[in-house]
Amino acid sequence: MARNVIRLHQVNKSYLMADEMFYALRNIDLCIAENDYVAIIGPSGSGKSTLMNVLGCLDTPTSGQYQLGEHDVATLNETELAELRNEAVGFIFQSFNLLPRATVLANVMQPLVYRLMPNKTRQAMALEALQRVGLADKTGHLPNQLSGGQRQRVAIARALVTRPRILLGDEPTGNLDSKTTKDIMALFDQLHQEGHTIILVTHEQDIAEHCQRVIRLVDGQVAEDIRNNQGAQLHV
Amino acid sequence: MFKLLHASFEGTKAAFASIRAHALRSALTTLGIIIGVAAVITVVAIMQGLSHSITSQLDDLGSDMVTLRAYTPTNQQMLGQFNRLHHDDFLTLKSRVSQVEDMTATMQAFSMGSQVHYGRNSAQTQIIGTDSSYQNVVRVYPELGRFLSSSDDDRRRRVAFIGSSLIQKLDLPDNPVGEFINLSGDWFRIIGVAESRGSLFGFDQDNYIIAPFSTIRALNGERAARNIDILFRPAAGANPEQVQQQMRSILRQRHKLAPDDPDPFEFISAERMIDQFNSITRSITLVAGGVVSISLLVGGIGVMNIMLVSVTERTREIGIVKALGATPQFILLQFLVEALVLSLFGGIIGLALGAGIASFIGLMLPAMPEALVPLWAILLSIGFTTMIGVVFGLAPAIKASRLNPIDALRYE
Repeated sequence: MARNVIRLHQVNKSYLMADEMFYALRNIDLCIAENDYVAIIGPSGSGKSTLMNVLGCLDTPTSGQYQLGEHDVATLNETELAELRNEAVGFIFQSFNLLPRATVLANVMQPLVYRLMPNKTRQAMALEALQRVGLADKTGHLPNQLSGGQRQRVAIARALVTRPRILLGDEPTGNLDSKTTKDIMALFDQLHQEGHTIILVTHEQDIAEHCQRVIRLVDGQVAEDIRNNQGAQLHV
Repeated sequence: MFKLLHASFEGTKAAFASIRAHALRSALTTLGIIIGVAAVITVVAIMQGLSHSITSQLDDLGSDMVTLRAYTPTNQQMLGQFNRLHHDDFLTLKSRVSQVEDMTATMQAFSMGSQVHYGRNSAQTQIIGTDSSYQNVVRVYPELGRFLSSSDDDRRRRVAFIGSSLIQKLDLPDNPVGEFINLSGDWFRIIGVAESRGSLFGFDQDNYIIAPFSTIRALNGERAARNIDILFRPAAGANPEQVQQQMRSILRQRHKLAPDDPDPFEFISAERMIDQFNSITRSITLVAGGVVSISLLVGGIGVMNIMLVSVTERTREIGIVKALGATPQFILLQFLVEALVLSLFGGIIGLALGAGIASFIGLMLPAMPEALVPLWAILLSIGFTTMIGVVFGLAPAIKASRLNPIDALRYE
């Protein structure tokens, strides 16, 4: 059994909305092992996004413990959270979230700006990541000169460049057509085979079918957590 | 410490990239500061140039020449009473004060007006009656012919020593010595032309006629003959204060003043004029500086305003880099540097622009001396714009650094 990279224990997240407490996550217990390939599914309002934000260290739980690698995330301050995101998390967003005025190469180098290293090293690492996603010939392009699929590949390269502990995809194919979706999912499958830990938040069934493990959230609780061997049919 | 250095370096790079990406907006943002600094530098440069040139011109006049003239307080003037210095005062001082290199009396030719005629031409000028000592005290030298001699004064000759610009004004021959000019009906023979003195404060200094004191006094008649000015130069090595003090007590005695009466005369030295002038330029510089500081303040608020808009506009971008691991300190530094660079940029452009405008004005107006940008003005405007950048950049930078990454990422 592989080591757990993520461990959530009794995690709650609540917000005060219009004088009323809204419980987005309730007593979540969850472990994700290294090189796991996980889909988090559920209807909208089920707490998927909140869970994603907590896992990505963009947000801290109201109560409970979250262990990412050797870090106890719940105790970290803003600065330490930022440093941990840079070190351990690779984000891939639905709307790509590339910096519009920066070239492809600069976009991929961006996370390395927050690390102390020579610019040459940054460039070399970014080029390597771009080669990995098959876009080494587009380094000088601006994001708006690329297709949606290419943009998402740039975003994946940007997530890979820091060699993070986990790759977090938030509806990574939500803005893509079906052919491009297939390409991107094939890329995720490959990355998984190469040893990356991948967590995808999605509401699309065929995306979830790529994953080894599907966690279904309902009303902020884990309703279902199943191993999904050989693409079994799922009820989303 | 090392982290801060790294963040400063990367933050500066990011700030420059962002300024370059919004070149036009950056230029407009900093416009207020450019105009403010340019205005300060223009005013300061012109005032400094003026002050420098006037000080040196007054120095040329001879900083040790002192004018003694009648002084009437304003409240007494309103009653129509005027204090006067008499020719007898001059004679007494001349005979009793020894510590003086030379001394002369001058009298304005009031009764003759200031019209001078030559042939069909006429000109407005200043007519002064004085003696041969004037040449030594005021240091005026003939370019052509000669200055007044003591026999001119003794014999009340109708002769005139003229300033060089009258040649052109009256269309006199190139060498006018021996020509006759008419001063309200009386003919004067030109005996000499003075070396040109140029202009001071834009006033022609070569438009005057000097005639013998006794001649002018006779022509003035009794009506306005009394008031004179006394010009003198303290002897080399003498203490000017002591000389003035001695003259003061002699004059007070002659005018039979009580101990607590004010002096009905005053001493004016070039040094005092320089002091007065400098205090005037200082206050003009200060007032202009104050007005312009307000415009710089407005410029700073402009920078803050645009930076706040820019933070809002770049909310999503800030969210992205926060997700990628930018710390709040890093964002703070980046926006602070951006504001700093913008306002410093404005300061430097304004500096160049102001210096350019000032020297342009100096070139366009012939009476205007060359503009001078003193080092303190450069340092002050750079320092001030740096301060504005930090002070007005802080609020937007703090706003940017405190953005919640989740909300910022969702911002459309």
